Amino acid sequence: MKKFFAFALALIMSLSLAACGNTATPSAGSTASSAGSSSSAASEKYTIYLITMDQMDAHWQKVNAGCEAAVKELGDKGITINYKWLAPETKDNQKQIENIETAIADGANAILLAANDATAANNAIQEALDAGIKLIYVDSPASVPAAATLSTNNEAAGKQAGEILLKALTDANITSGDIGIVGVLSSTDSCVKRENGFRGVFEGTKFNLRETQYMEGDTAKSQDAASNMINDGVVALYGVNEGSSVGVGNAVKDSGKPILAVGFDASSAVCDLISGGYLIAAMAQNPSIMGHDGLSAAVECLQGKDLGGAVTDTGVTAVTKDNVADFK
Amino acid sequence: MPELSRNYYEGVAKMKTNQNPFIRVLAIRGIGQVLSALVGLFILCIIFSIINPNFMSGANILSLMRQTCPYLLVGIGQAFVCITGNIDLSIGSVMGMSCMISATLMTRNMNPWLAVLIALLCCLAVGVINGNLVARFNLPPFIATLGTMTVARGIAQIVNGNYNTDSIGTGAEGFRNVFYYGKTLGLFNGVWITLIIWFVFNFYLSRTRSGRHIYAIGSNVDAARLSGVDVIKSTTKAYVVSSFCAGVTGLILCASAGMGSMETGMSFELYAVAAAVIGGVSTLGGSGLLAGVIVGASIWAVLQNGLTFANAPVAIRNIVIGIIVVACVLIDVILRSGKKLSQGKKEEKAAV
Repeated sequence: MKKFFAFALALIMSLSLAACGNTATPSAGSTASSAGSSSSAASEKYTIYLITMDQMDAHWQKVNAGCEAAVKELGDKGITINYKWLAPETKDNQKQIENIETAIADGANAILLAANDATAANNAIQEALDAGIKLIYVDSPASVPAAATLSTNNEAAGKQAGEILLKALTDANITSGDIGIVGVLSSTDSCVKRENGFRGVFEGTKFNLRETQYMEGDTAKSQDAASNMINDGVVALYGVNEGSSVGVGNAVKDSGKPILAVGFDASSAVCDLISGGYLIAAMAQNPSIMGHDGLSAAVECLQGKDLGGAVTDTGVTAVTKDNVADFK
Repeated sequence: MPELSRNYYEGVAKMKTNQNPFIRVLAIRGIGQVLSALVGLFILCIIFSIINPNFMSGANILSLMRQTCPYLLVGIGQAFVCITGNIDLSIGSVMGMSCMISATLMTRNMNPWLAVLIALLCCLAVGVINGNLVARFNLPPFIATLGTMTVARGIAQIVNGNYNTDSIGTGAEGFRNVFYYGKTLGLFNGVWITLIIWFVFNFYLSRTRSGRHIYAIGSNVDAARLSGVDVIKSTTKAYVVSSFCAGVTGLILCASAGMGSMETGMSFELYAVAAAVIGGVSTLGGSGLLAGVIVGASIWAVLQNGLTFANAPVAIRNIVIGIIVVACVLIDVILRSGKKLSQGKKEEKAAV
């Protein structure tokens, strides 16, 4: 009995040592005062927080990577950034509000925010603004005005995806039928805009767009929904984010039927599906540009420049069989 | 356990020795809830077929069977634990852990089957830990499995450095076919795997002495201990079954997606409880048939599948699922309280 306790205690202690040593987790702070910032006594120092929708999606990890790259560049110029990445484990409004409050309490000078919902966190955001914190939106804005917004123009990207699909359908001589959409959450603004842009393309055509199936971006649930829709006779499918696209592509592969499908976000699994011909295209966003330019803009703002609420479209690239090798 | 009259027990004894096999089946303790849930399942299927005839198409029936498998597997595990009078909250996280461990190892070009073995061994370790925490150290099962739940989820995240994994690659095509995409004799492989697991565990639970011990602990743990049942071993066996089933389910999800996601299996412990309870397993312990878990898991899968075919909007889905789940269990409660009332009246007449 005592031996078991002693062993368990030793295991717990060594595990917690290992956990502290792991620098890949987002909430571990990384003071990036790298090589060149040794000179000036009056060097600028800012605390900047990145708060995203969740920690797991490759999309946010690329945003973080872009921010870290910008932090390094600024460090070389003599500006020290105390940079931290916070996010809830899964998309959750309440947890994101808590993250914002933590940032305020920790003395953040600027926050880069990817809002989970257009209005849910407004009170917390207003508190941050009242405390003098500069606000920049990355990927998904909320309704409170900010210094600048860097995002994919989701509606335009959805429209582009729709146009690619419509052309493929016309080339295959398919002019009518049902089209299924696998969405994320009806409250996630960026994904809803991608749907709207997509739906707009098919207005006036003989295609019937079904009720969107919201599967929270979970690959397994999205795959089940897509399989069901294929068995129910849809001719084409659309996945609005990475998880949904993987599910849709896998369902097309599983059915063995010539269903045309487009997706969003070019992760490793999505690229494999494009190479295999199960997805005809995916709209790759530029999350690292969002992070990098967002952080640079935040610093400019802190240095006194007025960005005037500018909205920058960081753009999408259509990834198809022809250029998929570049994205792997 | 409800107090039933002597007439009732004599009646059951007569049914058990009857020649007619159907009547013998009706005498099995716990079959009532399974049958009423089965009635509920049929009604649901008929309603969904009317709304959209494609629901009953051959392709969808096969697809539906495959979609039931994850719920059925975790339901079997949760049923084992519930029958001992405990609960296992770590099922979803163990699924995620198994999915991530196997996917991560496969992306590092390890032989897929070796990766499968390692993932399953890790899950079995969690089961042993759960069993010991609950039975040896007498931790309340809720707290113990809550702890292992969060730790397992953490392991799932740390395994690939807090990233979802890359695609497991073409080397794993064999693995993906065996667990998800391939068909044998017309049914998906996943269905065969689940059925085999169900048969093995049903035999273990209903026909072996260890299985009887599991019922005994849930029914009256002190009486069981005094009768010589090793409570710690039996509880651990139940938790190991649960973690094993969760591990296999995680592998199925890894095979289906072709990658590992850190959030795989979120909330699955609740779906497991739903499948077990709708099928007649009592969360208080001591009763329930594994056959019921098949019905419970099927009802859950039919609801998800049918509502997609019915083109139902999101808000309606959740409301409908909740109402139907409650209704299925309510039917059985009402039918059984009716039987008790009529037995009571017969007693009064006999006494007079």
